[in-house]
Amino acid sequence: MSRPASSADSRYSLQARLLLAFGVLLILFLGLAGLVLDRAYRESVEAAVRERLQLQIYALLGAAEPDNQGFFLPDMQEARFSQIDSGLYGFILDAAGRELWRSPSALNLKLNAGGFALGSPGVGEMRYGSLSLPGQGDLVWASYGTYWENQEEEFSFAVLESAAPTAAEIGEFQSNLYLWFGALALLLSVAQWLLLRWGLRPLANLAQDVSAIESGQRDELQGRYPVELVPVTQNLNLLIKRERERQQRYRGMLGDLAHSLKTPLAVMSATLQEIRGGAALKAPQQHDMQEQLTRMDQIVSYQLKRAVEANQRRLLAKPVAVAPLLKRIVGALTKVYRDKAMQVRLEAAEDLRFFGEDSDLMELCGNLLDNACKYGAGRVEVSARQDGRALLLDIEDDGPGIPLDKRQWVLERGARADTVRSGQGIGLAVVVDLVSSYGGEIHIGDSPLGGAKFSVRVG
Amino acid sequence: MRLLILEDEDLLRAKLVKALEDSDYVVDSASDGKTGLFLGLEYDYDAAIIDLGLPQIDGIGVIKSLRQKGRTFPILILTARANWADKVEGLDAGADDYVVKPFQIEEIRARLNALVRRAAGFAKPTLDFGPISLDTTARRLSVNGASVELTAYEYKVLEYLMLHPGKVVSKTELTEHLYEQDHDRDSNVLEVFIRRLRQKLDPNESLKPIETIRGLGYRFNVSPSVKR
Repeated sequence: MSRPASSADSRYSLQARLLLAFGVLLILFLGLAGLVLDRAYRESVEAAVRERLQLQIYALLGAAEPDNQGFFLPDMQEARFSQIDSGLYGFILDAAGRELWRSPSALNLKLNAGGFALGSPGVGEMRYGSLSLPGQGDLVWASYGTYWENQEEEFSFAVLESAAPTAAEIGEFQSNLYLWFGALALLLSVAQWLLLRWGLRPLANLAQDVSAIESGQRDELQGRYPVELVPVTQNLNLLIKRERERQQRYRGMLGDLAHSLKTPLAVMSATLQEIRGGAALKAPQQHDMQEQLTRMDQIVSYQLKRAVEANQRRLLAKPVAVAPLLKRIVGALTKVYRDKAMQVRLEAAEDLRFFGEDSDLMELCGNLLDNACKYGAGRVEVSARQDGRALLLDIEDDGPGIPLDKRQWVLERGARADTVRSGQGIGLAVVVDLVSSYGGEIHIGDSPLGGAKFSVRVG
Repeated sequence: MRLLILEDEDLLRAKLVKALEDSDYVVDSASDGKTGLFLGLEYDYDAAIIDLGLPQIDGIGVIKSLRQKGRTFPILILTARANWADKVEGLDAGADDYVVKPFQIEEIRARLNALVRRAAGFAKPTLDFGPISLDTTARRLSVNGASVELTAYEYKVLEYLMLHPGKVVSKTELTEHLYEQDHDRDSNVLEVFIRRLRQKLDPNESLKPIETIRGLGYRFNVSPSVKR
C-alpha cells in the first residue's frame, strides 16, 4: 500500500504553483503600478511648483521699480516675501550674477555668491533647478532673464522656495500609496487563495476518494466532479472495475484449471485403488504410484494457490469484515468435526477489518482452524484484534502442541508435524505463503489450553 | 443404504458408483445438476455425494434447492478446488462434510458411514441397544458381547432398522433403500431375512427386538443404551 514518495514530495503542489505564480505576478503588477503612479504624481507636483514659482517671478517683475542702487519693490503682493525665513525668497541679479536685490524674507539666507547658479538665464528664458543650503535644506528655484526698459543691462529675477512642503506632500502621497497597495495586495492574495481552494477542491476531493478506495472504504469514485474531471473519474472507475473483474476471472480460470487437472488425478487414484482392492497383495509399485499421484495433487494445489496470491493487487482490495467470516468457518468446521463435538470459542469484535482479499482470509483462517480442530482434543479458541490496518489472529487448541524444536520445521514449506495422512499437507504451507505475501508474521507458541497457539499478523 | 452420486466426470462417477456398490450401497447417479436435483427430490436417499462443479445447476445450487425443499439427508461435497471459500460455501448451503479430489475411496466410505450414522442421531460409530451392538465401521454385530455372523443383506436390513429405532419401516421403504430399482422385489425374501435376524439377535425370544406391525412394516424396539 505504499505510494511512490517522490510524486508527493519532490514537486510543488498545484496550489503552491498557482499561488507562487500569481504572487509573483501580483508583486510585479502592483510594484510597477506603484512606480508609475508615484512618478506621475511627483511630476505633476513638480509642474505645479514650477508654475507657482513662475507666478511669483511675474509678481516680482510686476512689483520691481529700479532706483540708482538697484531695485526697489515697494508693493509685493505675496506676504511671504516680507516675512523673514518664510521659505519663499526673491532675488534680482545682474548679468554677472551679482545680487542687486533680495526680498526681506531672505535676509538670513547665505547664498554662495560664486556658485550661485540662479543667474544668467538667456533673456526671456525661464530656468528651474534645485539646490541645497546649509540650515535651509532643499530649495527649488526658478530664474528668469529679462531687459529693463530704460537700461541696456540684463537682469535675472529668481525665486527660491523651500522644497520641504512639497517633499512632505509627496511623502504623504507615497505612504498612502503603499498603504492602499499593501491592503490591495493582501486582499487579492486572500481572494486568490480562496479562489484556488475553490477551483482545486474537486482535485482534493478526487485524491480523497482515491485514498478511500485504497483503504477500501469505498468501491468506486462516486462524488460529483466538474466536467473536466469526469472522463478521468469514469476511466478510473472503469479501470478499477476491470481490474477487479480480471482478478475474479483469473481466480476462476485457476479454479477451473485445478478442477480439470485434479479430476484425471482422482480417476487415476480411484483406478489404482480398484486394482489394489482386487489384488490380494499391495504391490509396492502401486504404493509408489499412489504416492506420486498424491505429490502431483499437492503440487497442483499449491502452485495454483500461489499463482492466485502472486497475482493479487491489494491496492484495490475491499476491507473484509472479519467476524462474520470467522463465524462461517467455525460453523462449517463444527459440522465437519461434529463427532469430536469441538467447542470453538470465538472472540472477534464486529468492526474488525482485514485489508485484503476475503478469499485469502478464508484460506488463512480455514487452514489454521481446520488444523486446530484436527489436532485439538475438544477445545479451540480464536481471538482476533485490530492493530491499525493489521489484523492479529490467535488460534489455540488443546491438542498435543508442537515441540519447540519442530516449530521452525512445521512452518517450512509443505512440512507437517505428522506425515501420517498424506494429501493434506499443504494447508500450513499455504498459510505461511499467504502471511508472507501480506508482509505479515506467523509464530507458534504454547496455548494455556495445552496445545499449540498460532499467532498471525496480516494486512 | 440408498445413495445419490452427482459427478460430471463419467469415469470418476463410474468408479465411485462401483466402489460404493461394492460396499453394499444402493446407488443412483447423475452427471448434471438438473437430473441430480430431480432424483434428490423424487427419491428418499440416505446420503448424497455431490460434486461442486456440475453442469446446468452447480453443486451449491443443487444443495440449496434440496435443503429448501426440506430434504434432510446428509450431503458430502466433492471439490477439486480445495479452497476454503468453496468448502465453506458448500457447508453453508447445507452440506455436511467435504472431500477434496483426488480422494481415497476408504475416506469416502468412512465419511459416508459417519454422515449416515450422525444423521440418524448416533454420535459414535457403534450403535448400542442394550445387549445388541452394531459396529458400523467394522460392520460387525455382537449380542451380549459375543460376535454374531451376518450376511451382507442381513447386515443391511439390521443397520437400516437400527438407524431408525422406534420408527415403523415399511417393506417398501426397506426394499427401496436396500435394493436396486430394477431389482425383483419379493417381500417373502425380506420376511426370510427378518426371521433369520430375529433368530440371530434373540435366540431365546426374550428381547423381541424386531416387531412386526401387521400390514405396515417392522419396528426396531430396543431403547438405545447411550443417550443419542
